[in-house]
Amino acid sequence: MSEFYTVKQIDNSRLVRVVAPNHLRECARVVSLGALIALCAFLYAWQHFETIQLRYELESLRSERAQAGELNQELRLEIAGLRAPGRIDVIARRELGLTAPVPGQVAPMDLPPNAVVAEARPADVPAAQQ
Amino acid sequence: MRHTTVRFRVPGDQMDLQSPRKRIMIVAALAAIWTAAVFGRLAYLQLYCYSDYYSRAQHQQRLIVDVGASRAEIFDRNLHPLAMSVPVDSAFAVPFEIADPDMVARLIGKVLDVPADDIATRIASSHSFAWIVRKLPPEKAERIAAMNLRGIYFQREGGRFYPKRELAAHVLGYVDIDEKGLGGIEYSLDDAIRSKPGKMLILADAHRRWYDSNDKAPDAGTSVILTLDEKIQYIAEKELAQAIHDTQAKAGTVIVENPNSGELLAVANWPTFNPNAAKDSAPESRVDRAASSLYEPGSVFKIVTLSAAIDQGITTPDEVIDCQNGAIYIAGHRIRDHKSYGNLTVSQVLANSSDVGAIKIGLRLGAPKFYGYISAFGFGQPTGVDLPGESRGKLRRLENWTPVSVGSISMGQEVGVTPLQMTAAVSAIANGGLIVRPHVVREFRRGNQTTEPQESQQPPRRVIRATTAAAMRRMLEGVVLEGTGKKAKLEGYTSAGKTGTAQKYDPDTGRYSTHDLIASFVGFAPISSPAITVYVQLDSPAGAHEGGQVAAPAFRRVAQQVLAYLDVPRDVPVAGEKLRASRAPVANGKGDTLSDMSDFAPMQAPAATADAVPPPVTARPEPVVAPPTVEIAEGDGIPAPNLLGKTVRDATEACLKMGLVPVLVGTGVATEQSPEPGATIRRGNRVTVQFSRGESFVSAAARGKIK
Repeated sequence: MSEFYTVKQIDNSRLVRVVAPNHLRECARVVSLGALIALCAFLYAWQHFETIQLRYELESLRSERAQAGELNQELRLEIAGLRAPGRIDVIARRELGLTAPVPGQVAPMDLPPNAVVAEARPADVPAAQQ
Repeated sequence: MRHTTVRFRVPGDQMDLQSPRKRIMIVAALAAIWTAAVFGRLAYLQLYCYSDYYSRAQHQQRLIVDVGASRAEIFDRNLHPLAMSVPVDSAFAVPFEIADPDMVARLIGKVLDVPADDIATRIASSHSFAWIVRKLPPEKAERIAAMNLRGIYFQREGGRFYPKRELAAHVLGYVDIDEKGLGGIEYSLDDAIRSKPGKMLILADAHRRWYDSNDKAPDAGTSVILTLDEKIQYIAEKELAQAIHDTQAKAGTVIVENPNSGELLAVANWPTFNPNAAKDSAPESRVDRAASSLYEPGSVFKIVTLSAAIDQGITTPDEVIDCQNGAIYIAGHRIRDHKSYGNLTVSQVLANSSDVGAIKIGLRLGAPKFYGYISAFGFGQPTGVDLPGESRGKLRRLENWTPVSVGSISMGQEVGVTPLQMTAAVSAIANGGLIVRPHVVREFRRGNQTTEPQESQQPPRRVIRATTAAAMRRMLEGVVLEGTGKKAKLEGYTSAGKTGTAQKYDPDTGRYSTHDLIASFVGFAPISSPAITVYVQLDSPAGAHEGGQVAAPAFRRVAQQVLAYLDVPRDVPVAGEKLRASRAPVANGKGDTLSDMSDFAPMQAPAATADAVPPPVTARPEPVVAPPTVEIAEGDGIPAPNLLGKTVRDATEACLKMGLVPVLVGTGVATEQSPEPGATIRRGNRVTVQFSRGESFVSAAARGKIK
């Protein structure tokens, strides 16, 4: 048996598609919702990775702070050594040619009533290192 | 005829597999199956295998490390650090990672200046972990790290450093490699100073970069603030070293104390050591002689004898004692004075250090009362100082005293004392009769909170009356002005004290040695308002060996500098014609070089051994005559008011009007005062007044109490 395929010639040019506003609105709503969800997902993902990046930076800063603290401690140790009375005494006597004053060379004075006296300020004890 | 069926197919007719719709459906079905497989796998991994993968992830990403805090610091009273901890590197090996241990050992040994065999032995001692060396100096750690040796790693540990080196070494103590205190404050307060490690939970990524951490903070320990002043400590150590050098003594001690509060401003011992290299020092150099060494005080103990007698009213400073031309017999034993004295007043007995005079006074006092006063002065028991290893001294119980004991103890033999006990006893004279516990810890500091030691709550204990103490101060001044302690006289300050030259007991012969002596001087200044008590002891000086010859000058040098440093107002004028200015450069002796003192480098401080001769202090320059300094007077001397017979209120008003500080003892009417009426004193000086009831002024005068 032979088969012949025929194609119907359909002319839809005069067919006018009826616009359905409800349908369009519905589509717009769906698309908007989808976009919003996508945006939220994007923000969540961005925030998540940004947090991880900040954590890296935070740990890096903590490490820097710890190193700075150690350096500070080493420098304080060096300062304490440089301020040793024996060292200063040797410098004063041998390099600068200074000697201790004899008793009569130091003359106490009566201060005027409103005099401001300079005095050594005691060093601050640093807070306990954590 | 053949029939042909023609069939026309119109779209929409019955479908078959080759139609597009069917293909779509098939694809959709495959997609759905694939999606279901993916979700199923996802569900399997996330739900079924969750715990397994979670634990594996935790194991890979989590690190828990101990976070060590530095050992707390020790400061002097002005918050200058004396002991600090700094992180340092310790090198360790992971032996199974090292391909050529011998080469590694050679390279590291060169840096550390250690035989390569030693390093190789350490590497071979374990398969997975072996210390190479702990707490390296920074430059050596850098050199090893620069070699980039496989299998060699570093770990940070706390290293203890003492930036002032030998300064206050015996008080501070030292620590071992694990920062455990082994002496001094480091030992006695180890629990407080030691820090407790914390823990840190770390999250690391695949590259082992940390991206999160949570830490349980370490407990940093409690900082200790001492009563020591590093400058005064340096003065004491410097003058002690000078005295040791001048006298070639075997050992020595200098103590500087605030007699009113018991705060120890300086505790210097020789031989000394460097706590940075304590393990390299001789054990005898680490002994805190101030607290733990016993000696027979000799003539210094006459202070106790006479204080007890005067306090009991058995004698007075002006009573004349027959010193029997320098010899006395007690229980068959003959005791001789160093000079043949005839009649001496009690003041002169003390000034000239007459043993015979002291023995007679002691015999008059009697053993029970004498023993009571000796115990009250703190002998035979620990002072309670917050240093480890304090000796209680040696005092025989009263029932064990022999007939000769009173005599011996009166002149300072047959009793063992520590330098701290002697200092505390003399401080009681200085402060008006109160025994104050000597202490070296001022306060603790933790963060922003400060607390005082519990022992500081102990109130002082009266041992003699205030007037007795005042009388003793005058008598001790006589020792300096006219007696054996002339070399202790200060410029610009009154001073008082007592010399001592005690024979050491020789265990080989069982007798007192004739050539090994302990020379000492203990005194205070200024007299009217003592600011410091200074104790000097020299063990077995060669050549000149008496306390007045070798210890008194050291007292003078220490006291002069400390009083100037503390800005204590002078109470006697300095003679203008004696003023000199030293402008000559310091002579270049074998003294300290700057290279010894510059650029403190941790763990490089040279060790001090007992055999090392202390660096001689550079020779004092020849003074150059300078024009006298014009001194602006603080106020001329004024005569002490006569307060005898006055009531407490009247006496107080009279003192305050004259700018004097009244020290009032008792109630009623004034019957005694010190200084005496008419004596030259200065504004701000203390006047001690004894009041009593039931005894009129007239009767007190009749009994000779009032002249």
